[in-house]
Amino acid sequence: MKTAIKINDLTKKFGDKTAVDKINLEIYEGELFGLLGINGAGKTTTIRMLTGLSAVTDGEAEILGHSIKTDLQEIKPLINISTQETAVAGNLTVKENLELTANIYGMDKSNIKESMEKIISSLELDEVINQKAKTLSGGWQRRLSIAMALITDPRIVFLDEPTLGLDVIARRELWKVVENLKGKVTIILTTHYLEEAEALCDRIAVMAKGKIKALGTSEELKKSVGKDNIEDAFVEIVGGEQ
Amino acid sequence: MRAIAFTSRNIKELLRDPISYVFCLGLPIVMLIVMSMVNDSIPAAPGTPKIFNIEKLTPAMSVFALTFIMLFACIRVSGDKSSAFLTRLYASPMKSRDYIIGYTLPFGIIALFQIVITYASGEIIALINGESFNIINALLSVPLLIPSVILFIGIGIIFGTILNANAAPGVCSAVITATAILGGIWMDIDAMGGAWKTVCGCLPFYHNVKYARYALEGNFTDMLTPFLICLVFAVLFFVIAVFVFSMKMKSDKK
Repeated sequence: MKTAIKINDLTKKFGDKTAVDKINLEIYEGELFGLLGINGAGKTTTIRMLTGLSAVTDGEAEILGHSIKTDLQEIKPLINISTQETAVAGNLTVKENLELTANIYGMDKSNIKESMEKIISSLELDEVINQKAKTLSGGWQRRLSIAMALITDPRIVFLDEPTLGLDVIARRELWKVVENLKGKVTIILTTHYLEEAEALCDRIAVMAKGKIKALGTSEELKKSVGKDNIEDAFVEIVGGEQ
Repeated sequence: MRAIAFTSRNIKELLRDPISYVFCLGLPIVMLIVMSMVNDSIPAAPGTPKIFNIEKLTPAMSVFALTFIMLFACIRVSGDKSSAFLTRLYASPMKSRDYIIGYTLPFGIIALFQIVITYASGEIIALINGESFNIINALLSVPLLIPSVILFIGIGIIFGTILNANAAPGVCSAVITATAILGGIWMDIDAMGGAWKTVCGCLPFYHNVKYARYALEGNFTDMLTPFLICLVFAVLFFVIAVFVFSMKMKSDKK
């Protein structure tokens, strides 16, 4: 398996507070990788560093062979992100939001058309395509946000808490969307929903206090602490650290 | 391409906000009509021009209306800054120059359109009232007001960058008031003289109004000095805007 992301001792400090503490990870191409942890565990900060949104305090990470410290402009066209808060242009329609993202990433017209058709079909956006983003429900806005992350045909996509704040139906619908992407693109997904990580992710890294406490498939995590369900396993792994 | 895409988005956002029509296009026209009515109601001494003569009022109103362009630029930048949309853009290959172009061009286009509308309204009011209004000078005034446009967009970007979405409109309102008072929109600052004129002369607004009035009069010789002063202010504020925005981008990454 080819490596998509290689992280070595990646550290982020805000003053005296260490948000991410010397983490080491290797994520493979086509993998759906989960960063699991409670609020403040360091998941979003890790993603912010990997996407160039936040400066690295120490350590290094390579994305598709490029350093996040020195080659950010080479990395940016290869990745995309759907942030924790819904990041859409409210007064633009769904179609215009997708076109805007594609144009910002420098895609040519024929590629935009092809990619639009693919994304609209796979995320079932047909029924809202001409609707202004601000008039969409939370679930649809989140779906659009993910579509905007995928329209540029990235090799790696970061989904930061994609189902945060959604009702159970909207969450399950988004799960389907993410499941359909499996194997087509490398996905780094952060979540604090245990069942979400278990249902979707090939491998999971459990984070607490900026550190990676455990890494493996959901079965491996449960087995490592002798528990039958992911919730008990999670509590066992991070319980003493919180 | 990125800057054009971002420009297109900002134009759409602006044109789809009904409030922008009211303030950017409706207000200068309404103010021109109202002040012309006031002008008609005030008796002038024989041989002296009326206070709100349309030839004096139209260029001043054009400059005043640009303060609302500043307000909308400020609201757009501060609004984007507080939303996750800008975070998404920060993760994209967009560079700081793309943001600056993308914020400046749409408001620049709307501002020029606003100036044309204001001068056209002035011409119509002049025709109705039988006042003089030189259409050729009015046409020449449009490109000559570009430094004023850049100045106010620059101020809007600066405040939009350093202030949050709640504080930005309040501070812009102060600048709008300052422009009206210190720019001599409603009064003749040259006639007032003294310390007040000195204070006004230290700020760009007075020079903006002055050169816009000279331009409509066709007095391009006297226009040159306030025009150049305004040009220097425009370049200065725009450079500050670029610097402040670039610094903000860097500090957001810390």
